[in-house]
Amino acid sequence: MSVMTDPKVGLIPGPVHDRLAALSRSQAWYGWAGYVAPSHLDSMEFEYFALRNQASLFDVSPMHKYRITGPGALAMLNRMVTRDVAKLRAGRVGYTLWCDEEGMVIDDGTLFRLGEDDWRLCCQEPMLDWLMEAAWGFDAKVTDESHDIAGLSLQGPCAFAILEAAGLDVGHLKPFDLAEIEPGLTVSRTGFTGDLGYELWTAWDAAPALWDRLWEAGRHHGLRAIGYDALNLARIEAGFLTAGVDFQPVLSVERLHRGLTPFELNLGHMVHFDKGHFNGRRALIRARNTPRSLLMRLDVEGFKPAPGALIYHRKKREIGHLSSGIWSPTAKCNIALAHVRMPYAAQRPANLWAEIYTLEEGRWATRMVRLTPVKGPFFAPPRAKATPPARL
Amino acid sequence: MTRFDAIVIGAGVNGLVAAALLARRGKKVCLIEAARHAGGMAGLRPGEGPALAHLVHNLSPAVRRDLGLGRDWPFALTPLATVALAEDGRHVVVDGPNAKLADGTAHPFAAAHAALTERLTRYGALLRNMAETAPPGGGMSGIAMMRQGLRFARTGLSLRAMGKPEMRRFLQVLLSNAYDLILDEMSDGPLAGLWTADAVRGAALGPRSPGTVFSLIYRMGHGGIVSRPEGGMEAVIAALEEAGRKAGCTLRTDTRVARILTEGDRVTGVATEAGEILSAQVVLSSAAPLTTARLTGLDHFDIEATRRLRNLRARGTVAKVNLKLARAPALPGVDLASARMVFAPSAEYVETAFNPSKYGEMSEAPVIEAVMPDPGAASPWLSLLVQYAPADLDGGWTAAARDRLAQIATRTLARALPDLPGLVTSAEVMTPDQIGAATGGPGGHWHQAELTFDQMLTLRPGNGMGHYAFGPSGLYLCGAATHPGGDVMGLSGRNAALRALEDRA
Ligand SMILES: Cc1cc2nc3c(=O)[nH]c(=O)nc-3n(C[C@H](O)[C@H](O)[C@H](O)COP(=O)(O)OP(=O)(O)OC[C@H]3O[C@@H](n4cnc5c(N)ncnc54)[C@H](O)[C@@H]3O)c2cc1C
Repeated sequence: MSVMTDPKVGLIPGPVHDRLAALSRSQAWYGWAGYVAPSHLDSMEFEYFALRNQASLFDVSPMHKYRITGPGALAMLNRMVTRDVAKLRAGRVGYTLWCDEEGMVIDDGTLFRLGEDDWRLCCQEPMLDWLMEAAWGFDAKVTDESHDIAGLSLQGPCAFAILEAAGLDVGHLKPFDLAEIEPGLTVSRTGFTGDLGYELWTAWDAAPALWDRLWEAGRHHGLRAIGYDALNLARIEAGFLTAGVDFQPVLSVERLHRGLTPFELNLGHMVHFDKGHFNGRRALIRARNTPRSLLMRLDVEGFKPAPGALIYHRKKREIGHLSSGIWSPTAKCNIALAHVRMPYAAQRPANLWAEIYTLEEGRWATRMVRLTPVKGPFFAPPRAKATPPARL
Repeated sequence: MTRFDAIVIGAGVNGLVAAALLARRGKKVCLIEAARHAGGMAGLRPGEGPALAHLVHNLSPAVRRDLGLGRDWPFALTPLATVALAEDGRHVVVDGPNAKLADGTAHPFAAAHAALTERLTRYGALLRNMAETAPPGGGMSGIAMMRQGLRFARTGLSLRAMGKPEMRRFLQVLLSNAYDLILDEMSDGPLAGLWTADAVRGAALGPRSPGTVFSLIYRMGHGGIVSRPEGGMEAVIAALEEAGRKAGCTLRTDTRVARILTEGDRVTGVATEAGEILSAQVVLSSAAPLTTARLTGLDHFDIEATRRLRNLRARGTVAKVNLKLARAPALPGVDLASARMVFAPSAEYVETAFNPSKYGEMSEAPVIEAVMPDPGAASPWLSLLVQYAPADLDGGWTAAARDRLAQIATRTLARALPDLPGLVTSAEVMTPDQIGAATGGPGGHWHQAELTFDQMLTLRPGNGMGHYAFGPSGLYLCGAATHPGGDVMGLSGRNAALRALEDRA
């Protein structure tokens, strides 16, 4: 499939669009990397509860996928990303970040080590230019597989049982393992929900058949196709970041100083200074102990989700904003990811407040609500890690 | 003993200066040169005849001072008048601010010439202030670069010497092109041709290209006087070499550095092609920036840095042609023995000469600078710099192409020196591709990297690399690709050495 879409066309259908269109009652679509993608197919709540209680199927094919191969691929990737991927064995997947020369995050993504010299990088932002630059001078080849490889994400407590019912044996896969389960079908125990889940990768044209196979197997497990809205709820509960929402990919910002370091995203553990040079390392050494702000997980008083709300110290001084915020049905609280300026982000007790706007039966009002820092993800069920997983 | 305080890669003008300076400050220094002799580009010889660099106009007194060479260089420098050759025999003889016709009569634009010389020399002194200072501040991009450039210009500005309106004029012309600047002052002809030829020498630019006023002022950074080193460029190189030797610096010629060694994010020394390991905490490299990065390993550099290095513009345009003459040529009324001859009969001519190089062709009517390094010899050499002879000649620089260049050069000079072709007994040619191959300088470029606004001051050689420090700690660039740039001047090497000393202090 050609990489460039016809500019006259606008959004184009993804590999399983026919299946999604047939299931869509709400007809709520949005554009994701040039593809028509569902916001929801029915109602977000339905889909969310299916995800957390049964299983959900989400088409992740619009993700950008790049293959990096060759004897220099490891050196090239290790120079590009912040973590030491030499430690990632073949058959493993690693979450990673990469930064510009100033140590500002360009994007995050998952890196699949398919073989000794064979890697796949999945990410939200188009990254071909950057990868080509990064590969220059290295014995490594970069191929854009975005339009050749389809991905279906099967998530939720019944995910394992459904794969088994579909005749796919993935019981041995630990979190972040990957394996070619059948010729042409790779399964990784990964996802963006913090739950038990798998991502299935196959050729673009093979995606509809795979969808049907899973759908059939999921019939008795309450499998539901879901859209982005339900996924977004789940990922905020899991504490995962979304590029463009929780951080601004530095290569696509136009204003100065909109970038953030991994330390400012609380991802300092993803930065391995001891592995030798990597992009932005020298800048990050300087920036390591002087974050300008910190990403915080917050419990927001009340019930009103408040993405975008400004944060105040002692209700007075403006010191940040909430980048993502939802009512978490599982945690039963109003949760948010936020950027809070230093030194306020590090002060205990925190004296943080958000200004939110409320609309009650035609009347707008503003209210200051207390923000309580929360450690760790809002939701991290043990089932996500158990191997072999439960057959629910 | 293979342990040193500092290793300097490349014994060109800048490497020689850097090594001698570090040694004089008490460092144990090893200077490593791949070629059999020191001298680099300046000392490179196409054959029996004179070295590539034949004149001195920017050799820095600051360098002389820092190398402890006393009040005078240990070689004689003969200031030369310049003869702007004219096809109609109305040659212009230029001696500093004075311009007259070869027959002794006044040049119609003598006053304009004097004023321009005075003005540009003043600007040149200003630029020299900057050249002798490492550029301030950190890396930056976009408009910030221009602002920084101007702020930088102001820094060196002595307001006592230059009033506000004059400063405004300086900042205005700095960005403009030589063609407009010169032709605002005089009508086109050999004198204007000379000015514009000096503005573009060594560059892949024509007089109408923006930034050529800057390169003209650069040329006049040390007063605009053109001198012939007696004993040839070899004498200059020998003096720099001697300064190093006296300070205890070890020079290893015929030794190629194969790798720059690192541990963690620090340099630890170099490995030679023969497999020898020399260790040092500090390594300065006068090899081209990308070459230096490759020697170190690209994985030690940020992706953006690699991209900038890869995109550095460096396309040599000057070839060296040495003509062996049966006897010295003569022109009525002109002492050619103590003159620099320039064939550039008009500014328009220079611009037209530039055009073919854009398409990978050599000029059919090139701009030529010619001198006799040893005019007293029975059969003297006439040393020519022929421009434009682009590094990337269409079809490549074959022996036939080089022959043709020699013929074109002779034929062109004969337009003003009709008896020249009859005097030529043999010719040697060295083209930018050969210069590049011999020194590692990309494209055989005069300055290792084009000297334009996007590649100067803090942006030289590239954004974020403007302070000599390069990649791993302890590694520095010290060649012409760094601020302020090339010429037989030595300031890049000096500034880099001072920077390295400062970092260690
Ligand atoms: C045709 C021509 C004519 C010129 N004429 C004049 C003139 O008349 N007057 C003037 O002022 N300027 C002149 N110049 C410009 C001047 O010669 C240069 O700007 C100057 O010599 C640059 O010096 P450098 O030390 O920075 O670099 P270089 O002279 O290029 O020195 C770099 C050195 O590093 C060595 N090297 C590279 N890699 C390695 C390695 N791996 N291991 C060991 N050694 C290595 C090279 O062999 C070389 O000797 C001329 C230039 C050209 C091309």
